[in-house]
Amino acid sequence: MSTPISLTTPKVTRRAQTRLGIALISPLMLLVIVFFLFPLGNAIYYSVVDFDGIDPTPAFVGLQNYTRLLTDPEVWHALGNNAIWIVIGTAAPLLIGLAQALLLWKVRNAGIFYRLAFFLPYVLPQVAIGIVWGWIYDPVSGWVNKALHVVGLDQLTTGWLGNPNTALYAVLVTAIWATTGFVLIIFLSALRNVDGALMDASRLDGVNAVQQLWYIILPQIMPVFLMVTTVTLVGGFSVFDIIFIMTGGGPANATNVIGTYAYTNAFQLSQISYGTTLALLITALSVPFAVALNRLQRRLSLQGTGA
Amino acid sequence: MTTTTAPTTETAPPPRRGVGAPREDNGMSPRRRTALTGKHLLLIVLSAVSLFPVILVISTALKSEEDVRTNPFGLFSSFSLENLQNAWVVGDFGSYLLNSILLSVPSTLLVVVLSTMAGYTFARLPFRGRSVAFYLVVLGLLVPFFAYMIPLYFQLRGLGLLDTLPGAILVLTSTGVSFGTFFMRAFFSDLPLELEQAARVDGASEWQIFLKVMLPLVSSGAGALGVFTFIQNWNNFLVPLLYLPGGEFRPLTTGLYQFTGGRSLDIGPLAAGTLITIIPVVVLFLLMQRQVAEGFISGAVKG
Repeated sequence: MSTPISLTTPKVTRRAQTRLGIALISPLMLLVIVFFLFPLGNAIYYSVVDFDGIDPTPAFVGLQNYTRLLTDPEVWHALGNNAIWIVIGTAAPLLIGLAQALLLWKVRNAGIFYRLAFFLPYVLPQVAIGIVWGWIYDPVSGWVNKALHVVGLDQLTTGWLGNPNTALYAVLVTAIWATTGFVLIIFLSALRNVDGALMDASRLDGVNAVQQLWYIILPQIMPVFLMVTTVTLVGGFSVFDIIFIMTGGGPANATNVIGTYAYTNAFQLSQISYGTTLALLITALSVPFAVALNRLQRRLSLQGTGA
Repeated sequence: MTTTTAPTTETAPPPRRGVGAPREDNGMSPRRRTALTGKHLLLIVLSAVSLFPVILVISTALKSEEDVRTNPFGLFSSFSLENLQNAWVVGDFGSYLLNSILLSVPSTLLVVVLSTMAGYTFARLPFRGRSVAFYLVVLGLLVPFFAYMIPLYFQLRGLGLLDTLPGAILVLTSTGVSFGTFFMRAFFSDLPLELEQAARVDGASEWQIFLKVMLPLVSSGAGALGVFTFIQNWNNFLVPLLYLPGGEFRPLTTGLYQFTGGRSLDIGPLAAGTLITIIPVVVLFLLMQRQVAEGFISGAVKG
C-alpha cells in the first residue's frame, strides 16, 4: 500500500487529514457495518440456533445444523453438481475464450465488432439469458431440437431442461455462452502485453504456431490465466441466478446446487437456520479461493501487467 | 514485408492505427490472405452464435401475436408492435421499468460517491485505524452475498425496510461499495504526491485539495465505476427477489421472472419485456464499451 505522506508532514496537516479522512469514510463504514458485517455476524448466530423466521428467541442447538449438513444426501448431491459446474464451467470458457482471443489478437478491421459481439452476452441480465435459452431448448419449437432434426439426429432431441439427465448441462452451456466473452476480453488485454519482439524473433527462427503458444504466449499470460481460472472457480461455488431462473433446481432436484438448495430451505421451507448454514458452507468453500485470487491480483498490479 | 493491394475487400485491412492493435502490420502473401479470410469467416460464425439469443429476443418481440402462436421462434417472420404494447399495458412492464430506474440510479450514484470518498481516504489520508477499516471493506470482496443474505432479510424486516425502495437501494449500494472503494483507491494512489504538496503550499485546505485538485483527476475512473455499477444493479436479480417480495416495487428482472410462470401463449409479451429489460444495458454497453470492459475486468476480483 502506498502512503504518499512523508514523515515530515507537519502535525497540523496530519490532523486535518485525519479529520477529513474520518468524515469521508464514515458513511461507507456505517453502511458496511449495518448491511454487511452485522448480518454476517447474524448468519453465524443463525447457524447455531433453530430459527424458523418467526420465533424471536430461537433455541440454541449447537452444531446440529452443521452435523445435519454433513449427513444430508442432498447436500452431497448438490455439491457434486457444484463440482461439475466448476470444472466444466471454468475449463470451457477458458479454452474457448483463449482460442477466440488468439483468433482476434491480430485482427484490425472489424476487430471491435467481434469484440462487442463476444462480450455482449456477459452484460445481459441473467433473467433475460435464462428466458431466451429456455426457448432455444424448447422441446417442440426450440432451435436445438430443430437443428438436430435438420441434420437427421432426431433420436437426440429431448426436452433439454425437463430431462433430468440433460438439464444441468443445458444450463451449463448457457452459462458458458454468457461468460466466455468476459474471459476473452481479459485474455485480449493480457495478450497486448505479450512481448512483440520475442514473437517476431521466434518467427524468424522458424518456430511454429503451437510452439509459440506454448513457449512464448502462455508463459507471459500465465498470471492472467490463473486469475481468470480463480474468478470463474469462485463464481462456481455461489452460482444461483441462472439455475434458479432456468430450472429452479429441478427437475426432481437434478440441477440443485448448494445455492438453490440454501434458498429453498430458507425461503420456501422456512428452515432459516439450515438455509443459512448451507449458505455459510458456500462461503467457507469459496473464501480460500477468493483470498488466493486477491493475492494474485495484488501481485499482478504490482507487476504492472494487471488487467 | 510487402503491402500488396487487396484482391478481396473483406480481408484487406488498410494499414491504419487499429484501436486494439498496437502491433505493426504484417506483410501478407496470398496464402496468408486466404488464411485471414478463413479466420474472418470463423469469427463471423462465432459472432453469430454469440449474438443469436439477442437476435431471437428481438425477432420474437417484434412478431404478430398470431405468428408467435404458430411459429414462436422463426426469425423475423412477421412484424408487429402488439407484443410491446401488451407487455407495456397488460404486462405492467412500464411500472417495472420505472422501478428498475428508481432502484438502479440512486444506488449507482451512492456507490460512486461513497466509493470515491472512501477511496481517497484509503489512498491518501493516513490515520490510526485506517487499515482496520480498509480490511473490513475489503472483506466485502471476499465474502459472497449468499453468506449474509438470509439474516439480512430478517434485519430489513425488523427495520421496516423490507419491501421498500430505500431498503433495496441501500442493499444494492452496500453490495457495490467494497469493489468501488477498491477501484477508486487505485486511481487516487496513482496521482503524484507533488500535486497535493503544491496545493498545500498554495494554502489549500485538505477539503479543497480533495474536491478541487484530486477529484477532477479521477473523473474517468468514477465514470467507469458508474457505468459498471449501473449495469450490475440493473441486472441484479437476487436483491429484488429477496427484499422486494410484495411486487409493488418490482423491477424488470423479477418482473420478467414473475412472467415466466405463464403459459406459452405469453411468449410474445415475455419477449417484448425481455427486450425492454436488455435495451438499456445493450445501449449503454455499445456507447461506453471501454468503460464497461474496464469495470468488469477490475470487477473480476468480486468473483
